[in-house]
Amino acid sequence: MSTVRRVLGSDHVAGWAFAFPAVALIVLFGIVPIVWSFFLSLEKTNLISPPVWNGLSNYRALLHDPLFRTSVGHTLVYTGIFVPVSVAGGLALAVALNRKLAGIRLYRTAVFVPVVASTIATAIIFLWVFDPVFGVANWALGKVHVGPFGYFQSPNAALYSIIAMTVWGWLGFDVIVYLAALQGIPAELYEAAQIDGAGRWGQFRSVTLPLLGPATLFLVVWSTINALQLFDEVYFLTKGGPLYSTYVVVYYLFTLAFQQGVAGYAAAMAYVLLMAILVLTVLQLWVGKRVVYYAE
Amino acid sequence: MRNSRGWSLVLPMVAVLAGAACSGGGNKQAADVTTGEPSGPVQITVWHPYGKLAAPGETPNFEYGSLTSLVKEYEKAHPNVTINLVNVNPDFTLQKLTPALQGGQPPDVVYMYGSNMPQAATSPQLQDLTALVQQSPSYDWNDFWPGERAVSTVNGKIYGVPALVDNLAVVYNKSLFQKAGLPLPTQNWTWDELLSDAKALTDESRKQFGLAFPVDGSETTVWQYDAMLWEAGGDIVSSDNKKAVFDQSPGVQALSRLQQLAPTMYKDFNPDAGRSEQLFNSGNIGMIITGPWDLAAFPDVKYGVAVMPAFAGQSSHDTIAGPDNWVVFDNGSAKVSAAWSFLQWFTSPQQVLRDSLTDSHLPTRASVMKMGAFQAFYRKFPGEKVFVENLPNVKKARPQITAYPRISQVLGQAIVSVILGKSEPQPALAQAAQQANTILATS
Repeated sequence: MSTVRRVLGSDHVAGWAFAFPAVALIVLFGIVPIVWSFFLSLEKTNLISPPVWNGLSNYRALLHDPLFRTSVGHTLVYTGIFVPVSVAGGLALAVALNRKLAGIRLYRTAVFVPVVASTIATAIIFLWVFDPVFGVANWALGKVHVGPFGYFQSPNAALYSIIAMTVWGWLGFDVIVYLAALQGIPAELYEAAQIDGAGRWGQFRSVTLPLLGPATLFLVVWSTINALQLFDEVYFLTKGGPLYSTYVVVYYLFTLAFQQGVAGYAAAMAYVLLMAILVLTVLQLWVGKRVVYYAE
Repeated sequence: MRNSRGWSLVLPMVAVLAGAACSGGGNKQAADVTTGEPSGPVQITVWHPYGKLAAPGETPNFEYGSLTSLVKEYEKAHPNVTINLVNVNPDFTLQKLTPALQGGQPPDVVYMYGSNMPQAATSPQLQDLTALVQQSPSYDWNDFWPGERAVSTVNGKIYGVPALVDNLAVVYNKSLFQKAGLPLPTQNWTWDELLSDAKALTDESRKQFGLAFPVDGSETTVWQYDAMLWEAGGDIVSSDNKKAVFDQSPGVQALSRLQQLAPTMYKDFNPDAGRSEQLFNSGNIGMIITGPWDLAAFPDVKYGVAVMPAFAGQSSHDTIAGPDNWVVFDNGSAKVSAAWSFLQWFTSPQQVLRDSLTDSHLPTRASVMKMGAFQAFYRKFPGEKVFVENLPNVKKARPQITAYPRISQVLGQAIVSVILGKSEPQPALAQAAQQANTILATS
């Protein structure tokens, strides 16, 4: 009796009981699909027919798939530009918005609106704004004798147009994180720096930047994970085109699994992506631990 | 200790999944089904595509109304059968079938896009209807349009009965033609006429285009090309589905025509967003190749409909359809019998006629078009007339093989690269055919 009571009354049981609903959901919708898709990646299946055991041949096929190589290349270009531009842009805007100004709340809200707007709605707006013929962007540029550009419809420009759109869409998130971090920096540090003779740039470089380190690390890791899984904008705006110029890994595996009936191969691709993200994230955190300054 | 507790959760799950992944082999024998009436009470579940309302808070959906009233009538005449109607968006039917099949309880009757038939047929639980159709001469299978029958058939077996048919035709803006002093398209016009019309209607300064054409390289691009390919006398793959033949001279002729049309095109890189339709409705586009479903999107312009043009020296106005099917899953012979009894009645000429007159569906059966009562259709839905008359031009179907989506993808990219001026028709098609042959050889 007493053992039972002791076990039931222990903190472990109470803790797990409270955590149970969340854990159950994560297991059901997180762990189960992850494990299942690993088995899937070893099979040849369209999710409807009985699966055929395929060993590692899906993974081997990935090595010889030119479209996979293209998609990886585009994903890397996208991530390599999106992450630094959105994080640096977020920092610049946050610093600009971190002051007392009439109507500052309005500006901050305006910056954050694209983050909460639905991707499909913004995609349709962008399709019209950047339509080469009917779009307001080329019309305005034409007034100053620049352009016209093809934007999403030019094989050379489409990927960069998507970068521009997603930077616009996510900038507000970086701004909010940086604003919160900026407001956590104690004012006395700036006073001390001023007494030591630091100018505005000196204060920014020696006080603001180091103390924003944890926020920057978080944003870089988070944006990288996000960028490597780019899908929505490609799906709504370009469908990977024109001529594969915006094919990225997640869009490619979506078409394979749900349009072409090669789900096993798509699952193998998803697993390679998962491993790449895992390795990259661990690497970023390892570097971050050595570079980022954590205040006491 | 904490770790082992974690594993105690995960391990059984892995075992269950591994078991699920390895089971399921072995084809189930087709149920021994007769065409007779079910003797005891049977309930069947039908996945259908029609919502109750045309749009949230709007007018009742006539398609849904037609389906439910016919189902009620069937149930009255067949008291043993109860039909459980479930609305499932056909875009996601295949995805929703996955868990239903894994769970061992698929619905009995499912509305399925023709393009999904080859995938669906890989399920051992999809009922082969060939024997049932053959045992029912009064059902008159050959009364369905040839393009429909081809789509219902995979590997020589009938897996579905036609549920809906449409087709592509050229919808043109009458006022733009008249303003440009062009004669309106006739029912025996040619691609040469369409090309010269498109050129005359194109006026960059007024942001006006001769023809809207989808260039996302998806099936939306490819099926418009397919129709042209058939008109030129070609086909997509050989009749044994082993070799790509779209790179032969008819294919090159069709793609060269699109190359010539390219400067007159509004190139729609994202046809799903509906911009071509909006621009046609605002009078910026002279012609658009589309089906009857789009007519409601053109309330602001005076439009006419013409069949697809023919190539010079050919008389074929062949078009393409995307027919949908009713398919049956095998949940035991009693349910299959009931499902077949219902479908046989529901897709008989009399019911097809009534459905068409209620909700403007094109008739899935040739005999319905000849019925006296069908003439009311033209009075009720005058815009649909050319699409109905166009049905006999649906003579072929895309190959019903699981590799088709991948072949369509490489073909789509070839078409787009020519329209965008990146390559020439002959080499682009030759390269795509080579890729398609690899896909066909390995699938």
